[in-house]
Amino acid sequence: MTLSEVTQIDGIAGDFKVTVKEAPRYVDVEKCIACGKCTEKCPKKVDSEYDAATGKRKAIYVKYAQAVPLKYQIDADACIRLQKPGACGFCEKVCDAGAINFNDTEKIHQLNVGAVVLAPGFEAFDPTDAGVWGFGVYPNVITSLQLERYLSASGPTEGHLIRPSDKRPVNKVAFLQCVGSRDENLCGNGYCSSVCCMYAIKEAVIAKDHVPGLQTTIFYMDMRTHGKEFDLYMERAKEDSGVRFVRCRVNGVEPDGSGGDLRLSYVNEEGRQLEEYYDMVVLSVGLQTPKHVLELAHTAGIKLTADNFAATSDFAPVQTSREGIFTCGAIAGPKDIPQSVVEGSAAAAAVADLLAPARFELTTEATFPQEKDVSREEPRIGVFVCHCGSNIAGTVDVKAVEEYAATLPDVVYVERNLFSCSQDTQEMITKRIREQNLNRIVIAACTPRTHEPLFRETLKAAGLNEYLVEMANIRNHNSWVHTKDPKAATAKAKDLVRMAAAKVTFGDSLKPFAVPITQKGLVIGGGVAGMTAALNLAEQGFAVHLVERTEVLGGNALNLKHTWAGEHVPSQLAKLIDKVTGNDKITIHKGASVTKVDGFVGNFSSTITDRNGATLVIDHGAGIVATGGDAYIPTEYNFDSITGVVTSVQFDKLFELKEQHVKKARRFVFIQCVGSREEGNMYCSKVCCTHSVQSAIALKKENPERNVYILYRDMRTYGQREALYKQARKLGVIFINYELHGKPKVTQNGSVIDVEVWDHVLHRPLKIEADMVILATAIRPQGDAAELGKLYKVPVDKQGFFQEAHAKLRPVDFSTDGMFVAGLAHYPKPVEESIAQALAASARAATLLSKSHISLDAVKATVDEDYCDGCALCVDVCPYNAITLIEKPAKAGGAGGKTIVVNKAQCKGCGLCQGTCPKRGVYVAGFTMKQISAQIQAALAV
Amino acid sequence: MLDTKKVGSVMIVGGGVTGMQAALDLADSGYYVYLVEKSGAIGGAMAQLDKTFPTNDCSM
Amino acid sequence: MSFEPKIVAFCCNWCSYAAADLAGTARMQYPHNVRIIRVMCSGMVHPEFVMDALSQGADGVMVLG
Repeated sequence: MTLSEVTQIDGIAGDFKVTVKEAPRYVDVEKCIACGKCTEKCPKKVDSEYDAATGKRKAIYVKYAQAVPLKYQIDADACIRLQKPGACGFCEKVCDAGAINFNDTEKIHQLNVGAVVLAPGFEAFDPTDAGVWGFGVYPNVITSLQLERYLSASGPTEGHLIRPSDKRPVNKVAFLQCVGSRDENLCGNGYCSSVCCMYAIKEAVIAKDHVPGLQTTIFYMDMRTHGKEFDLYMERAKEDSGVRFVRCRVNGVEPDGSGGDLRLSYVNEEGRQLEEYYDMVVLSVGLQTPKHVLELAHTAGIKLTADNFAATSDFAPVQTSREGIFTCGAIAGPKDIPQSVVEGSAAAAAVADLLAPARFELTTEATFPQEKDVSREEPRIGVFVCHCGSNIAGTVDVKAVEEYAATLPDVVYVERNLFSCSQDTQEMITKRIREQNLNRIVIAACTPRTHEPLFRETLKAAGLNEYLVEMANIRNHNSWVHTKDPKAATAKAKDLVRMAAAKVTFGDSLKPFAVPITQKGLVIGGGVAGMTAALNLAEQGFAVHLVERTEVLGGNALNLKHTWAGEHVPSQLAKLIDKVTGNDKITIHKGASVTKVDGFVGNFSSTITDRNGATLVIDHGAGIVATGGDAYIPTEYNFDSITGVVTSVQFDKLFELKEQHVKKARRFVFIQCVGSREEGNMYCSKVCCTHSVQSAIALKKENPERNVYILYRDMRTYGQREALYKQARKLGVIFINYELHGKPKVTQNGSVIDVEVWDHVLHRPLKIEADMVILATAIRPQGDAAELGKLYKVPVDKQGFFQEAHAKLRPVDFSTDGMFVAGLAHYPKPVEESIAQALAASARAATLLSKSHISLDAVKATVDEDYCDGCALCVDVCPYNAITLIEKPAKAGGAGGKTIVVNKAQCKGCGLCQGTCPKRGVYVAGFTMKQISAQIQAALAV
Repeated sequence: MLDTKKVGSVMIVGGGVTGMQAALDLADSGYYVYLVEKSGAIGGAMAQLDKTFPTNDCSM
Repeated sequence: MSFEPKIVAFCCNWCSYAAADLAGTARMQYPHNVRIIRVMCSGMVHPEFVMDALSQGADGVMVLG
């Protein structure tokens, strides 16, 4: 439901009545074919929201080229006709589909739902009103979002970086961080937006790729690159791309002359006032909750934090203050894409927990018509050539391709479509297949990697086997990469169509096959993440086995006292342990670890071994790895020899116990990044800055007379944690920055500990006398993570943390189907992020476990009994151990001998067997020797 | 709570990357989903981004 | 007319084929002489295919994985 807003939520969890107001689109989505004629004719231009006002759009427009749904809409405020009846109306006249409806009206929908998930996102801080650094006055001061659009191939300049003032190329760009973040005076947003440091680095690197020789400088307070692989990315940006980083306070951006250049003045770390000149200044704008979301929060009746984000508990990070209403993404605090995706899944898990009794009540299986048997028919190929708007047709002479396709053997029908992937074209293709009795289809359009699944559905809808389609990639591999040579591109498009037709001619009907799923989960690791995942799966109704290596549940959280928001960890942990042990769907195996794994998605069987060597085999359909992390034991800063030097975990215990040394001590020094962010361990442990700040606050609160120092490299109190940093400064905690090349020195000097650190301002070493030194030590991966990884065929990264399938879009999935990851096993993170990730892993696992069968792709190795002589060469090369050598069943009149069988559930269709087999005894369905040979022949036919 | 009626459908407000992920996971595990989006198309803020770190993949 | 070679490229669906897609998305311009054949893994490419291509007139064969 687009153009829609929630206006009212009545009822209770499990049974809400929601009122949704749908604004008029003035374009009938059923009729609109997104041809774009209306936009072409529309005389009214306004700033494009999508391009962050760097470009224009018309009053009738489509949000962006790949929009879903790809349907036009009229902006009533800008439309001449809607503002003045009788005027204009050009779009209505040119629309062949008759989709324009100026009389469209607002609609009100009443919907009955069991739960509501709020994921309305954020808006970028708008620096116009505050007049930050001359934004809105000097045209070459732009926001990071605008730069994003300039750098985008779909942006206003098609990826060419030019100056807005004079369209001249840009040679020098400055990025100013924390615009609309960490600044209560100018914008009222005291929190850190968490994502700007990283996106600024990314934009600087990408901009340098676009413009060779471009100089980029990032002016910052603290670089907060605390996410997985972020520090590595920053190092690469520094070392390989040559992005310059300057820690400073900028105090002015002024025009230099009338040419559009900008003069930037700042105070550097040594306290000196400097000036530099730039072509362009980019403001790294923060994230904030938009007004309409505040209204939505009010409508939903949920509580907000002081920073205007949804209030949640660290132990229930997607639950709002109103039962049955959940949040995910930036509404509950600024966060990056991976964390937002994690929370999306986590909210799904929380909803599923609530609504488990009503699962499958309202869903229906898609049904398809009976499949036609085409094995005895002569090929009748239909070719559909896509314009992709102007993406293809702008370069390739699609009409010539259409005419050429008609001359190919067995091609009986050819047609061109503006967008082959649009809903109406899908229906049209279905119709043509029936009408023309087509039994093989070629779609000349974009890449099968994204669109083949769609066209397979189309064939199914027409009663044709879904594998009888082949795509000719005349966009990504042709029109987009040969833009300047339309003639050659047209010739290549013809070749690609010919190759696809040749391949599909030898295509066979293939059946995807179903494998039953063991509807049970296995969770490895009994810490907070593991227990949360197990509990959620159990509450969704699935049986779960929870395996914990030690004799106690709780994991690393047993060492924690408070979350950053001040919630008491031991009591919450005790509650969680009670719930897990009391849930009869959860079987707990303490003192046990996984030692052997067989099977595959839906059908794993893991063997666990306990202390005494007793083994147990557990069958499960999905598995969650939540094995946690390890604490780094420092060797630096004389940790071994000086008793007053302790780790932060040790300090917490001493402080809690009101131990005499701590109680009496007057001078405390915290040293950050011990074992983090240095050669060999180039990652941030994410939690230590906040942890030290919290400890410092506690010390100061207990006795304001104490001197508390925090020696840091970058303070990474990200998100709403920034409030703690501010509080600590207010209480008089002294923060001293050090760099990697000037690490502090810690020595015993009689009864005191001397800490020596380089003072940037005074240009000389500074000596602090301390009673106690607290080392903020790193979180390390489990030493044996890689061994467990090998059992399940899931990888660990360079550091030894488990590697997810995709950093952004599949943050809790492994590349091995059916396996998921959560908690410190994935990367250092605070409790609430571990819990969100655990819920997410549970939701992802539940998408599998809720089904009784899993349907697998039919592109699998297949044995040709006539040719296979059991030489077993393929058995060794198969990377998935899917091939087994067996005795050939003795046929009447034939000898026995050996042959192979393929376990299709384990086979991934890679075809190493096919490439190895000297006898053509095994082939991959959908990519047979015959099909590929035909393609080669067709490629070289002209 | 035990005997109150539970409806097997969910409304998700917001069609950005997080809302879409929630919608997909819920639909895939047997719930009917209404995805409500304020603007004319789903995709949210991520659709505006050019490339994403750490791999510099295209956002689309 | 100058010599225009014909090149057949076998591209793995998961890496090099995806890379070729990405090259398109990034609008990188490259010579038009290459014809890509998608395979599910470069390991699927039987030596016979390479010989086939060369014997049928390809001036070069790439197996990318």
